[in-house]
Amino acid sequence: MNEAISVSAQPASGTKPAKRRKAKYRHDNLMGYLFISPWLVAFLAFTLLPIAASLFLAFTNYDVLNPNWKWVGLQNFERMFTRDPRYIKSLQATFYYAFIAIPLRLIFALGVAMLLNTHRRGVSGYRAAYYAPSIIGGSVAVAVMWREIFGTDGLINAILGTQVAWLGNPTTAIWTLIILAVWQFGSPMLIFLAGLKQIPREFYEAASIDGANGGRQFWHITLPLLTPIIFFNLVMQLISGFMVFTQAFIITGGAPLDTTLFYALYLYQRAFVSLQMGYASAMAWVLLAIIAIMTAVVFRSSSYWVFYGSQEE
Amino acid sequence: MRSRLSVFAMLLLVAVLVLSACAPAAAPGAAPAAEGESTEAAAPAADSGEKIELRVAWWGSQDRHDRTIAAIEQFEALHPNIDVVYEFAGWADYWTLMTTQAAGGNLPDVMQQDYARLEEWVSRGLLSPLDDFAADGTLNFANVSESALAGGRLDGVLYAVNLGTNSMMVVIDADKLAEAGMETPSPEWTFAEFEQFATELHDKLGILGISSDLSNEQLWKNTYLSLGEWVYNEDGSALGYEDDQPFIDYLNMVKRMQDAGVAETREQILAQAGGSVETNLIVTEQAAATYFWSNQIVAMSNAAGEGRNFILVPMPRPDGGASANYLKPSQFFSLTSQAKHPQEAAMFIDFITNDIEANKVLMAERGVPISSEVRAALEPLLNTPQRLMFDYIASIESTASPIPPADVAGHANFINNVYWPLALDPFLFGQQSVEDAMRILREEGNIVLAEAVGQ
Amino acid sequence: MSTSSTTTSERPAVQTAHRSRARNNGVRTLVYHTLVAGFGLVMIYPILWLFASSFKSRAEIWTNVSSLIPQEFTLMNYVNGWKGFGGITFATFYANSFFYAGVATLLTVMASAIVAYGFARIQFTGRRFWFAAMLTTLMLPVQVQIIPQYIVFSELGWINTFYPLLLPRIGGQAFFIFMIMQFIRGIPKDLDEAAEMDGCGKGSIFFRIILPQIVPAMITAAIFAFYWTWEDFLTPLIYLNAPTLYTVSLALRAFADPSGTTDWGAIFAMSSLSLAPVFVIFVLFQRFLVEGISTTGLKG
Repeated sequence: MNEAISVSAQPASGTKPAKRRKAKYRHDNLMGYLFISPWLVAFLAFTLLPIAASLFLAFTNYDVLNPNWKWVGLQNFERMFTRDPRYIKSLQATFYYAFIAIPLRLIFALGVAMLLNTHRRGVSGYRAAYYAPSIIGGSVAVAVMWREIFGTDGLINAILGTQVAWLGNPTTAIWTLIILAVWQFGSPMLIFLAGLKQIPREFYEAASIDGANGGRQFWHITLPLLTPIIFFNLVMQLISGFMVFTQAFIITGGAPLDTTLFYALYLYQRAFVSLQMGYASAMAWVLLAIIAIMTAVVFRSSSYWVFYGSQEE
Repeated sequence: MRSRLSVFAMLLLVAVLVLSACAPAAAPGAAPAAEGESTEAAAPAADSGEKIELRVAWWGSQDRHDRTIAAIEQFEALHPNIDVVYEFAGWADYWTLMTTQAAGGNLPDVMQQDYARLEEWVSRGLLSPLDDFAADGTLNFANVSESALAGGRLDGVLYAVNLGTNSMMVVIDADKLAEAGMETPSPEWTFAEFEQFATELHDKLGILGISSDLSNEQLWKNTYLSLGEWVYNEDGSALGYEDDQPFIDYLNMVKRMQDAGVAETREQILAQAGGSVETNLIVTEQAAATYFWSNQIVAMSNAAGEGRNFILVPMPRPDGGASANYLKPSQFFSLTSQAKHPQEAAMFIDFITNDIEANKVLMAERGVPISSEVRAALEPLLNTPQRLMFDYIASIESTASPIPPADVAGHANFINNVYWPLALDPFLFGQQSVEDAMRILREEGNIVLAEAVGQ
Repeated sequence: MSTSSTTTSERPAVQTAHRSRARNNGVRTLVYHTLVAGFGLVMIYPILWLFASSFKSRAEIWTNVSSLIPQEFTLMNYVNGWKGFGGITFATFYANSFFYAGVATLLTVMASAIVAYGFARIQFTGRRFWFAAMLTTLMLPVQVQIIPQYIVFSELGWINTFYPLLLPRIGGQAFFIFMIMQFIRGIPKDLDEAAEMDGCGKGSIFFRIILPQIVPAMITAAIFAFYWTWEDFLTPLIYLNAPTLYTVSLALRAFADPSGTTDWGAIFAMSSLSLAPVFVIFVLFQRFLVEGISTTGLKG
């Protein structure tokens, strides 16, 4: 099957004179930078300075409103890891959440996307229904709604016939947030759907003619061709999963017993409630390092399982 | 076809860029605040005839926004040369906004302040003293008692003007009380009597004796206030009391009540939907009593609906202690140190404090007004819950204890990072003993507090 | 289908085979719809609850919480909520939100597509470095960037305008750039190379060949960009100070105050209403996701 797909003409190299190669090289550089110039300009103008500032602040005890702040070197970092039990808890909560919610979300997203990748009647209605939860996002309303559903007198207890205090119990509270995240799988689902739509129907038709059934078609056509999208969704979900903030902010506030004190939420508290911006900046950069390492690992692994239609590195 | 698409796309891009340049940069009544570059010193423009802009900010909900804006419009009508530019937000967002503006040197002239944050902001030089304006009559406090202003004074200097007096109180559902055949408790009741009272209600009616979180830091403060102490020391660098036992006793009482089903457990409180006073269990008649600040009676009463009756009593006190009921300013208006028009700012604050018509619009939404004239003028207009609030404040005014010092600079940090997560919550969830909780409260608390004052 | 000549005795057998296959399909469809619709109902139940609560009167909201049918149907929440604050109604807020979300979406999607092409299809020095830098900007929590960014914009005098919200969008957003990159990389290079040999520059390859093929990706990006901008509140909170500039997301957050009265009915009503535009955009645009793109240029 792969042979039928990866048709790419061999570029006629080796016969180009060196001068033309150099000119092409320069031309490509120019065009490359031209095309990414919008991002580059915006980055240099609006993003670079704040990012650099936050890195600098991570080594200070800047507390936003006090003019007497000074350089403290690695003190913030040392304190985070040795003298701050809440920090350790926030790491635990975040990792726990990420390693459960991210895979679940992706699985649901892909599964439902495949289910909805048909021409049956009413499928656009279904798509809307499955995407709708994501639109609710992080508004005040979703907080009330979720607390209502999981409240002691709420819907879940009514259905299960129990009286569990889902949001107050240290073991279950984080699961209400995990379920919320998984409920909102609409975004990665849409992306998978777009990816599925991009697979040319001819491949499936050709495979049918060759006698391949649904399962084989999935493994040998759908999945390989979808890998760039799976890769993208995995990376993005990883990044956003570790930076989870809004839902915990508006629904649980980190309670109970800091079991839902996600990293970004704790960071926010340190920054805007305790006004310890230096410490918060240090936390931010540690988070960046953690996410960057994980992302790099995923990127490295991608050459083993991600297949691009064009033959790239 | 495809090239036409690309031409179209380019045109669209250009159009959009042009459009964004013509964005609504300013709306009537607002001006792009290029104040970062302004070389204008904070010289009061007074009534020089040219229009000046006064910036005011507050937090609240729709009700408060509407009322305050209406009051502002009255102010503008009285002072045609002053254009009030206002900003508002919900509680949490407000502080994010103010903090950011402060860091950028862009604070408004008048900002709403909170007792718990006052020390924080004053110690960083972000609020300006108001005593000069009081002396020269811009701020007219002729009808305001000194005790009402005391809350806004730090080291004797007035930094914030009280917008409404509050006090903490126990609210009892009158009908449930009658149903249980019990009497209204005496205003001087002790914790022991309180426990008895709530337990009896629970036993007789089968519902919660009392809702709301009894381990809130306010009650920690009250316990020591009753004993003549304050929870923080003079310079805010450590806890101010030596003996943990009073609070240990109190917490043990809370635990007993929770275990007996008389009071809500921490878990139940966290699991409750809503989290605002409208969702308090007394509203749905699942609790016979509760406690909160006096200005919240209006909201709670509205949520509970018609035909409900409530009795308000002062908070209980530890055995042998004095009353811990103090009159607390619910909110303040402060003059910021980054204000461009301090004179007009003071005029505005005076207006809110003393103007009768304005207060008829504000209708004591922030608490009981501090001016006796205003209170008298509002009397005939009060509805039932408002009247309850007024009466309650009036009743305890003579016996109220003096307001304790403002929360120290490290307060927010202490409460968020020590009181709940390291001390109280583990105890309430059964993970550590109350003695350990108090020990940790002291040890870790002192570290955090000392840091906040730079030690 | 094989066309074998059938004798009269074989025809009924073929017909039976047809009919049973049709019946199988019917059963399959029924199962499909039951499962998908059933699960879909579970998905939207919370939203239905929100919607239902917006029609409940103030007394009923907290006393008759779990029912989906209001005992006393009322539109007052919508009326009260729409009034907004001090004379500034939600009409203003909606106008602001549409302006902000609309322009931001257009800018973001176009710019992201352009930048994505550069990263995906052009080999230039420093490409990997800048790509890594771009991804890294996603990993730094926004909370620590707010204040330095605010100071920058304050020096530029752009506070209380839409500039800080819109101008950075000219660079696209890392999420969309990366996403569109992945879609572009899924497109075989043959057409590109053919066009190049015909003398086309990178520019026209982008506009004529790549752009038409990434339409589903750009539509998806547009849906997301619109929705995320619509509900963004942190940057509007900081930079749009005058209430006349408030977006719907900001206005909603100014409704709730734990220390005073909160009109929950109005919050529910306005929240439900605020879902409408995003929903409409989704419904309008998702039609374009239906048709796949066939790479007819590949044959042969």
